[in-house]
Amino acid sequence: MSRDRHSAVGLAVFAIAYLLGDRRYPLDTLATPGPGLFPLMAGLALLALAAWQFATAGSHARAPAQPASTTLQAVEPAAVGPPLVMVGILIVYAALFRLIGFFPTSVALVFVSSRLMGLGGWWRPATLALGITAASHVVFVRWLGVPLP
Amino acid sequence: MSDLFVALTPPNLLACFVGTVLGTIVGVLPGLGPAGAMALVLPLTIKLGPTAGLIMLAGIYYGAMYGGSTTSILVNVPGEAASVVTTIDGYRLARKGRAGAALAVAAIASFVAGTFSVVALQLAAPLVARAALAFGPAEYFAFALLGVVLLANLTGGSRVKSLAMVVVGIMLATVGMDPLGGSVRFTFDVAGAQAGFSFIAVTAGLFGVAEVLTTMAEPASTLAAAKVKFSELYPSREELRRSVPPMLRGTVLGFLVGLIPGPAATIASFVSYGVEQKVSKYRHELGTGAIEGVAGPEAANNAAAGGGMIPLLSLGLPFTPSTAVLLSGMLLMSVTPGPFLLRDHPQVFWGVIGSFYVGNVMLLLLNLPLVGVFARVATIPSRYLMPGVLVLCVVAAYSDNNNVFDVWVLVAAGIIGWAMRGLGYNPAPLVLGLVLGPLLERSLLQALTIARGDVRGLWSSGPSAVMLIAAVLVSLAPLVSVVRRRVRA
Repeated sequence: MSRDRHSAVGLAVFAIAYLLGDRRYPLDTLATPGPGLFPLMAGLALLALAAWQFATAGSHARAPAQPASTTLQAVEPAAVGPPLVMVGILIVYAALFRLIGFFPTSVALVFVSSRLMGLGGWWRPATLALGITAASHVVFVRWLGVPLP
Repeated sequence: MSDLFVALTPPNLLACFVGTVLGTIVGVLPGLGPAGAMALVLPLTIKLGPTAGLIMLAGIYYGAMYGGSTTSILVNVPGEAASVVTTIDGYRLARKGRAGAALAVAAIASFVAGTFSVVALQLAAPLVARAALAFGPAEYFAFALLGVVLLANLTGGSRVKSLAMVVVGIMLATVGMDPLGGSVRFTFDVAGAQAGFSFIAVTAGLFGVAEVLTTMAEPASTLAAAKVKFSELYPSREELRRSVPPMLRGTVLGFLVGLIPGPAATIASFVSYGVEQKVSKYRHELGTGAIEGVAGPEAANNAAAGGGMIPLLSLGLPFTPSTAVLLSGMLLMSVTPGPFLLRDHPQVFWGVIGSFYVGNVMLLLLNLPLVGVFARVATIPSRYLMPGVLVLCVVAAYSDNNNVFDVWVLVAAGIIGWAMRGLGYNPAPLVLGLVLGPLLERSLLQALTIARGDVRGLWSSGPSAVMLIAAVLVSLAPLVSVVRRRVRA
């Protein structure tokens, strides 16, 4: 099955889950529409579009002349490692954000992400992490009054 | 009219300068957005008094439109929603080494459109505002639907994928409070979700965090830090010549769209891009780094910002988050906007309008010479730039509601946005769907209620019928081409 067909199935699953969730809200009538009516329309529209994409992807797959690069380029499997590590780091970051605060978590985030992106050594990532976080703190917390944890 | 010159007094000039500089910075920073920044400085502006305070707030509002294009062009991260569409061609121009030219054209387009919209605001405000007010829910629905359908042609890739992303955006917009009845939907008892998904968190995630992850996946690519040749910082004669028609079209279109309630600057930029795809002589180049894709939308979103001031100043009705903050500021300063504003506070009314002229000149003088400074950002290696983008995204997402839930939304949107890129989906239609969702729902349900459940009420008026027919025709066009292709095969 092609990647477009996989994503069409994913969209259909999302639409069905959404429609199941929408069953909790009343539809009422067209004259007095309830909170479930518009989500029902949106869910059905996505389901129809997913079916359309599934069918279209099939016809594309049968067409031998279809160029592979008509859409955004796919991520090469070999390069998925660093972003996947980063995804894990971001999840840990969000979990610790309120617990230990913006400053220490952001210093760690910048340090690790810059290392992952190829910034060598220890002092340069550390300086970058402290610099970016301190500058953000001054601008947003001190000057603009954003109450970061 | 003589009160126009109130804007030239030193305190008001200073307020205008500070506002436009802050606005440009806010526009450059991804996520924070003009409404958030205006709300943050509201306590300060109250201390300045009504005229200077409102001049500063207005400066942030239209300054952000100028600055928003900068990060769209340089790092593929829109500073605010109205610059989302600029990423499509602006960033590709940067990757071709034409970042400076794209930034300069964006600044010139913003100046032309901003000046035009102020003249129109000054001369035609009462008449045009009255016409816009004649729109009922059916017309709003038809207009938003037409915008969505036009959007399907936006990315130049799969129309069905674009439409699917619009619908996903609309579905995400249904999370939280129902816009009519006040019921809470799809929150699954998560307290932070009751206000719905933060637009800023979703946008910063889909564009900012996803960009960081994509850059990590392609460490050797020039995705983030496109090399800029400083000898080519300013647009060539050919680029300037090609920019003029889309700039003028975007200006008029943006101003008219600005009169319509809703996220006018965002819609205007998308509609302008759609129009360029249809009428531009160079439409085949759109999506690959065409200067028309920068000039048209940038003119449109700036003209829309001016147009959006008309209902606020002449009728006291804010139709965008930014003008809503302006309204709050006015009320806090004991200035009631509306038909009596000119009679009761002529210095405030003309002072603010006069500051638009001054502010547009300031922004042009600020943006053109500093194009080089902004362009230098693109030469910073991604390993230095992208960690900073991450932190800015977190701050922007959190500052929207001061809620950790929005940081989770940011992270989730970033991961989904990265996956979407890999699967060939453009996040821009999703973002527009998220913005248009509540407007579509509210207007559709109100129109149905007014028509007592009769769906013919949706196309009973001339404007709504015309817009719906246009939406149907635009929708059917790709189907017709598919059928023709199959018949030929």
